[in-house]
Amino acid sequence: MTARLRVDWPNCRARGLCHELLPELVDLDEWGYPVVTGEVTPDLVADARAAVRMCPRLALRLVAQPSRPSSAAT
Amino acid sequence: MSDSPIRATDAPRVVEGPGLLSGLGGGPGLAAHRRQYGELPRVGLDDLLGELARLRVRGRGGAGFPFETKLRTVAAGRRPVLVVNLSEGEPASAKDCALATTRPHLVLDGVHTTATALGAREIHLVVPRERPRVRAAVRAALAERPERRVTVHTADARFVAGQARAALELIAGRPNLPVTSWQPEAVAGHRGRPTLLSNAETWAQVGRLVLVGEHRYAALGTTDEPGSTLLTLSGPTPTVVEVPYGTPWRDVLPASWSGRPVLVGGFHGTWVPWPDLVDGTVSVDAMRAAGAPLGAGVLVCPDEPAAAYTTRVVDYLAAQSAGRCGPCRNGLPALASAMRLGDEQRATELAALVTGRGACTHPDGTARLVRSLLALRAEVAS
Repeated sequence: MTARLRVDWPNCRARGLCHELLPELVDLDEWGYPVVTGEVTPDLVADARAAVRMCPRLALRLVAQPSRPSSAAT
Repeated sequence: MSDSPIRATDAPRVVEGPGLLSGLGGGPGLAAHRRQYGELPRVGLDDLLGELARLRVRGRGGAGFPFETKLRTVAAGRRPVLVVNLSEGEPASAKDCALATTRPHLVLDGVHTTATALGAREIHLVVPRERPRVRAAVRAALAERPERRVTVHTADARFVAGQARAALELIAGRPNLPVTSWQPEAVAGHRGRPTLLSNAETWAQVGRLVLVGEHRYAALGTTDEPGSTLLTLSGPTPTVVEVPYGTPWRDVLPASWSGRPVLVGGFHGTWVPWPDLVDGTVSVDAMRAAGAPLGAGVLVCPDEPAAAYTTRVVDYLAAQSAGRCGPCRNGLPALASAMRLGDEQRATELAALVTGRGACTHPDGTARLVRSLLALRAEVAS
C-alpha cells in the first residue's frame, strides 16, 4: 500500500516548511503553495512523517490511498 | 466584469416530460400529486437497493455517482442523516428549481421513502438564496406534509456554496464554504454521522421509482441506461426539459444552435463542436467516454464566440472562489488574466497547476473549461 501526501488546502498558508523538509516530494508554486510531485516511497516515509508533524498549520497529512475531492455540486 | 454571463433564474420554462415532468397541468400541490401517483408505498431497504442497482440510478448533481453505493454505505453506519441539495449554485442550471416549483412532492417522496427504509429521522434541505421562488415552493410543499420534520437551510449565492462539504458546513452552522473532505460524506458527514447528501433530481428519481415501480421506470431510456434525465438549455429564458437516456441530441437541441459549439455540463463543462455532438445520444456513459460529461445537465450555446464567452465565464469563476485555498485564490485570477490576454501557453500551464489542488473541484472544473476551449480552437484551426 503506497502512502500519499494530502494538503488541507483551506488551512495551508504557504509557509513552505514541507518543501524545506521534503524537497524530493514537495515543490512550491509561484505563490509559495506546495505542489506534491509524487507518491511517498518507503525510503521517504520517515521524512514525510516529519514534514506532516512540523507543518505549522497542521495542513499536511499522510493518507493511505489516493483520494479525490468530492464533486463541486452534488 | 465578474458577473455571471448567465443569471440564476427561479422562473425557467418547464416543458412537460415523460416521467418526472409529467402531469405539470395538475400543479405542484400534494392532492394532485397523490391523484397522479397514488399513495407512497413502503419499501424495504434491500428491495430499494436492488432496484437502484438494476436501474443504475446515479447522482444528478454532476458527478454521476451510483446512488445505490451511497445508500449502501450510509446503511452500514449508525443513525444516518439525509440531505436534499436544492442549492443549484451553478447559475446556468435551473432543473432543481424546476423540480421545486413544479414537482416538489416527488423530491420529498424520494427522501421520505429512503428515510423510512433507513430508519433515519434527520432530514435537511438546502435551498438557494438567489432563487426565492424555490424556498417558497419548498415551504409550501413541506407545510402540506407535516408528519415528518425537515429543516430548511438557505445557501449563499455563490457558485461553490452547493458543493457537498460546503452544504454540510452550512447545516452545521459554519460559513457555507468548502472544507477538506478526509472521508466520504456517506461515511462521516454531518456531525461525523453517515450522511446521504444528494441532488434534488436524484431524490425525485428515487421518489418516482418507488411510486411507479421498476417496470414503468425502465420503460424510459435504454437497457444500459434506464430512465430519463433533466437538462437545462440556455437561452433568454432557460428551458428545462426531461429526456429519456438514448435520445438523439439532434432531437433535443434547439435548431437555432445549429453549427455552433455547445458548452456541455455548464461552467465547469466542456466545449463540443456541433458536428461531434449532434450525432450522439443523451447518455452519461457515452458523454463521459467522449470527454464531455453531462454533469448536472446544463447546455449553453452563446451568441458570442466561444473564446470570448469562456473568458467571461473564467472571470466569473475566479471571482466565485471561496478564497480559502491558495492555488484557487491565486491561480484562478491568473488564469482569467491569461485568458483575457489570449496567452494560451500561460493558460495551459495554470490550468494544469490548479487542478487537484483545492478542497473542492472548483479549480479542476475551471481548468477543464479552459482546456476544452483550447482544444476547440486547435480543432477549428486544423
